[in-house]
This record gives sequence, structure tokens and C-alpha cells, in this order.
Amino acid sequence: MSTLTLENLKAGSRLEKVLARGEFALTAELGPPKSADGSLIAAKAKILAGNVDAANITDNQTAIVRMSSIAAGLLALHEGIEPIIQITCRDRNRIAIQSDVLGAYALGVRNILCLTGDHQKFGNHPTAKNVFDMDSIQLIGMLACMRDQKRFACGDEIRNSKKAPVVEPRILIGGAENPFGDPLEFRAIRVAKKVEAGVDFIQTQCIYDMERFEEFMRRVRDRGLHEKVKILAGVTPLKSVAMAKYMRDSVAGLSVPASIIDRLEKAADKPAEGIRICIEQILKLREIPGVAGVHIMAIEWEEKVPEIARGAGLWPRPPVE
Amino acid sequence: MKTSVRAGQITTLLCENSGWKAYVEIGLDPALQGLDVQKIPCSGRVDAGLLLALLERGSAGVLVVGCPKDNCTYLQGNYRAEKRLAVARAALREAGLDENLVRLEFLSSLDSCRLRDAVLDFKRYLDDHSSS
Amino acid sequence: MITAVRKPFAEIAGMLAGREKVLLLGCGTCTTVCMAGGEKEVGILASTLRLANGKEGRTVRIDEATIERQCDREFYETVRGRVAEADAVLSMACGVGVQFCGEVFPDTVVLPALDTKFYGATVAQGVWAERCSGCGSCVIADFGGVCPVTRCSKSLLNGPCGGSQNGKCEVDPQSIDCGWQLIYDRMKTLGQLEKLEAVTPLKDWSTGRFGGPGKIVKEDALP
Repeated sequence: MSTLTLENLKAGSRLEKVLARGEFALTAELGPPKSADGSLIAAKAKILAGNVDAANITDNQTAIVRMSSIAAGLLALHEGIEPIIQITCRDRNRIAIQSDVLGAYALGVRNILCLTGDHQKFGNHPTAKNVFDMDSIQLIGMLACMRDQKRFACGDEIRNSKKAPVVEPRILIGGAENPFGDPLEFRAIRVAKKVEAGVDFIQTQCIYDMERFEEFMRRVRDRGLHEKVKILAGVTPLKSVAMAKYMRDSVAGLSVPASIIDRLEKAADKPAEGIRICIEQILKLREIPGVAGVHIMAIEWEEKVPEIARGAGLWPRPPVE
Repeated sequence: MKTSVRAGQITTLLCENSGWKAYVEIGLDPALQGLDVQKIPCSGRVDAGLLLALLERGSAGVLVVGCPKDNCTYLQGNYRAEKRLAVARAALREAGLDENLVRLEFLSSLDSCRLRDAVLDFKRYLDDHSSS
Repeated sequence: MITAVRKPFAEIAGMLAGREKVLLLGCGTCTTVCMAGGEKEVGILASTLRLANGKEGRTVRIDEATIERQCDREFYETVRGRVAEADAVLSMACGVGVQFCGEVFPDTVVLPALDTKFYGATVAQGVWAERCSGCGSCVIADFGGVCPVTRCSKSLLNGPCGGSQNGKCEVDPQSIDCGWQLIYDRMKTLGQLEKLEAVTPLKDWSTGRFGGPGKIVKEDALP
């Protein structure tokens, strides 16, 4: 169970403080490069710095090899952006993950998002062996145990030796949820299990079907979960009709209503319409009780995040010491 | 089923409800001489292993004759025959041989003419494609 | 049963290159049921090999035999002599049988004609599907009789991932059911849904293959 308070900060990250204060949070996403070129991160981070509370750094998203989330997160940190490192269950076992978390914390990372991870068949190494030593709920539990019980999953204390002090990774723990996945009835149960495991915040898959999302939030509120976890609603601005159709047809767990595709088809300037739709969505989401913030996933369109933030009344970001 | 096929002979496996009856009507026709003729209870009784074994023992080619589709006394026999011929053909391809060394014909017991034509056509095919 | 499929013919032919006397040894149990390595399949493969060799002008003796099982020593007695005469055995058993045959006849080359796939059931005529991963600590009772380790493509133990759509798994929506949809539906039918609200802790994977090759010794059965 997790409630965030300013008096008793868990990680002390900017994101935590904004959420603890009850302010509507704004996060975005950065994909690390498919090469060893760190300058690409710096460029994206510069766009987002000052415009968001924190930014997710994806972890080999869609099972395509990219620079590691922690490494890219550190580069982003140097550019003035607070990273939310992502860890999936697909590529690393409990030994590697706990090790990575110790290192990430030592390097200044204060937010970690726990994900199941796309199956490797979707990526560029479909013949690789996957790991899935645990699922995302167990991963959340494992990180909460490191932070709160100050112990590794095996029960050992997190200290270098019996004489050394316990130095646990004090990180804010996030999870993801897909309000549109099946079985629908199970989605809120899954949020409940993540809450029980110790999650602090949850980001959702991008939303186009407002009705289905509201149904999801109703079930979440019925269980009182909105008071135990901060939920950030996901949005993705659509650049084109082709993109909208691709999202609808090829991305597992995503539905795009015909009305949106229709609007885009009729618009003269489709990207601009896509931004307008996104802003409208954010304004609607702000009105839904239990939504504590928004997570903008502008895939390869990060430069539009500042415009969206301004359009949705989310700029400037509240000052945080 | 015993086989006494001689090298180079064409084997015909005739379903007793269709091909065999058609054969009996015109058994003395010159076109049907020199064949290794066998009566079988149903074309579905033929399995891939049998077809391959016949070819191994010297048969020049095997013609299986069954009832028209949806007319099989045992309901599904001729459908099964089709699937099994496909297995035999795949094996022949794998072995580097001509998959058309086995053939399946569907005709009724009254179709003696069609049977004769089918045998002649098969003979012609095998003569044209035989490797010396 | 353990399911398998026959290797491509070219691969098998390649393995047998240079051999002059091959014993094609079938298995009367699992690979007969999944129609990959039983007596019938031995016959078809043997004929195919002989026809291929005949075409290439190679004289290779292909002998055929099928024994009850290749994973128990006693069944090999009836073919002991024939194995000795061959310069290679091409086994049509699962990977267990292929290896065990080599253990029973350590001086004989034993080659696999099949690719072993999974522990599965015959779900329909001609169709076999995976059901068990041999994890060594069965938790099926907690999941309405459906195994999350095997039926979920990611072996998740606390519910489906975001890729479950219309009861299908994102890995292959045409042919893979979402294991968690199956678990959910079954437990709903059995009135056990509230069991799914409990968080299942980290699994001990060491009881299965991840702990190294397994071994069972039943003390009361030892001579």
C-alpha cells in the first residue's frame, strides 16, 4: 500500500513531490537510440527539460535492442531531466534486476517503472531466449522490499558487509496498466495487486477510447485504489491517419474509435488535428476523478510535447525545491 | 495384401465398390492388359507406406481408383485417400522422384470408359517421363 | 505425451551420408501417438530413403524396427542383434529415446530423426498442444487447473499482460489462447475468482530444468 506524503518522502524525486502535493503531474517518454550515440538522448532531453516533471526512458521497447535504460537515463539526467528508468521482466532475472537497481540508485536515479515487457518475437532478435523470472507484480514487490524492508529478494540485508551500513535504493516505484486489455474485469484486480505489492504510481497505455477508460476508472475507484496509487493517464498524439490505423490494427491492446480516424481523415492539417485531439483528451482526462496526471508518449515526436503541455494548461510546471 | 508386381508394371488399386466393378466390365480390353491389378475394400484403405513400398518393389506407377466424393460407402474413405496420396507425393518429392508416379482417380462403378481412359493417360504419362 | 515432428528429409539424409547400414528404430509410445515416429512413420521414412538412394545409385541398407519405448532398457533386447549389425541407428523416438539408445549401445552412433517439441495432449484429431513445462513444482491447483507457467507465453503468475485481446495471446493471436483468459474463465466457473486477488510470490525455478538436469531416485524401488 502506498500513499505519498511530503513529510515522509520515499525517494524525494521531483515526480514524487508533485504527486504528493496533489498537483496534476506530467510525464513524457524518451526512447534511447539503437546505437551507442549518446548525443541523441541529449537532444531529446533538451526538448523535454523544464516541460515535464519526469520522463520515462524505455527498456528495449518492443524487444528491439536500444541503449540501456539506465545508461540513457543518466545521460538524460545530465541534461536536466528527471528520468523514470524502465525495467521489463523479459531480459533480466532477479539477480540482474536487483543489481541494476543498486547501480541506478547510486547513479542518481530515483524513479523506476516496472513492466512485463513485450515478447521477443516482436523485436529484432526473435530467436533470443527470454527470461520472465518474474512478472511485473512480483517485480514491484521485489523493489518495494529492497526499499522498505531493505532486503534483497532472498532475504539478505542490503549492506556490503556485517559492519557496513545498510544502504537501500530509495526509489519511487511505478507500474503500467492497459485499461483496454482483456479480460476487462481483471484489469482493476491487476491494479489492486500492484498496489498490494507496493506500487506508488501507475501509467496507463495510451487512451483513445474515453468510455472504456472511464469504465476502468470506475472499477478502480470502486475498490478505493485511486487513493492508494497515483494514476497517470497515457496519451499519444496521432500524426496521421496511417498512424491511427496502425495503432488500431497492429498494437496489441489498443483500440482507436472510428470517430477519431474520421476527424483525421477530414482534417486539412492532420498533424495539427492530431495535436488538437490530444489536447482535448488531456482536458477530458483531468476531469475524471482518480486521474492524478498525464503521461504523454509522443513516439518520435517529442518536439510536440511542449506545445501539448501548453495547450492543455500544464505549463509551466510547478516549482519544486 | 500380397504384391507380386513385376518390374515396370503399373499397379492399379481398385476400390471394390467403384474401380473394381468398372474394371470387371471391360477386363479383356487390350488397354488394360499387363497391369498389376489389386482389389481393395476402399480407396481410404491405401496408406502412404503402401504406395511407396509398391514403387520400391518395382512398380512403374500406382493408380488408386475410388468412388466419387460424397459417394464413398464408408463416407470419408476417399477424402482420406486424398490426404494419404498427398503424403506419398511429398515423400516422392523429398526422395527426388516424380510425385506423379502415384495418382488418384474418382469414378463410379459404371464408368468403365473413364477407367480405361485413366489407365491409358497414366501409361502415356509414365512412358513420356520415364528415366532410362 | 512427449510430442515431436520429423526433421526435414534433407537434414536426415545429410546425417546419414556415408552410412551403409542404417537401422531405422521407431517408438511405440509417444511418437506413435503424435504420428511422428511410430511403425507407420518408420515405414514411410525408410521407403523414402531407399527410393532416394536408389535414384542416386547409392546402395544403403535401411533396416526397420519399432520397439515399445526407447526410454526403458528392457525393450531394446529384441533388437540388440540388429543394432549391432548397423553402422548407425536413426531413432524416431523423442530426444530422451535417442540419447538413451546411445547409452544402451555406447559403441553405436544414434541419430535423431525427429525434433522433440513439448509435453502435450491430443486436443483434436491431428492436433497436439503444449500443456506442461515440467517446472518441478506444480501450482495448477491455485489456477483453476490451468498452468500459467505453460499456457501463458510469458509464464506470468499474477494475471495477464497488456497484450491479451479477445482471449488471444499477442505472440500469435491465430493459434495461441491467452492462458490467463483461460484461467480467469475457469476460475469464474468454479467460483474461485477471489483467489486471484492474492499476490503470488516469486517462483522457485530451481526445481525444474533451471536447477540443472533432473534426477529422481525412488529408494523403495532400488534393487
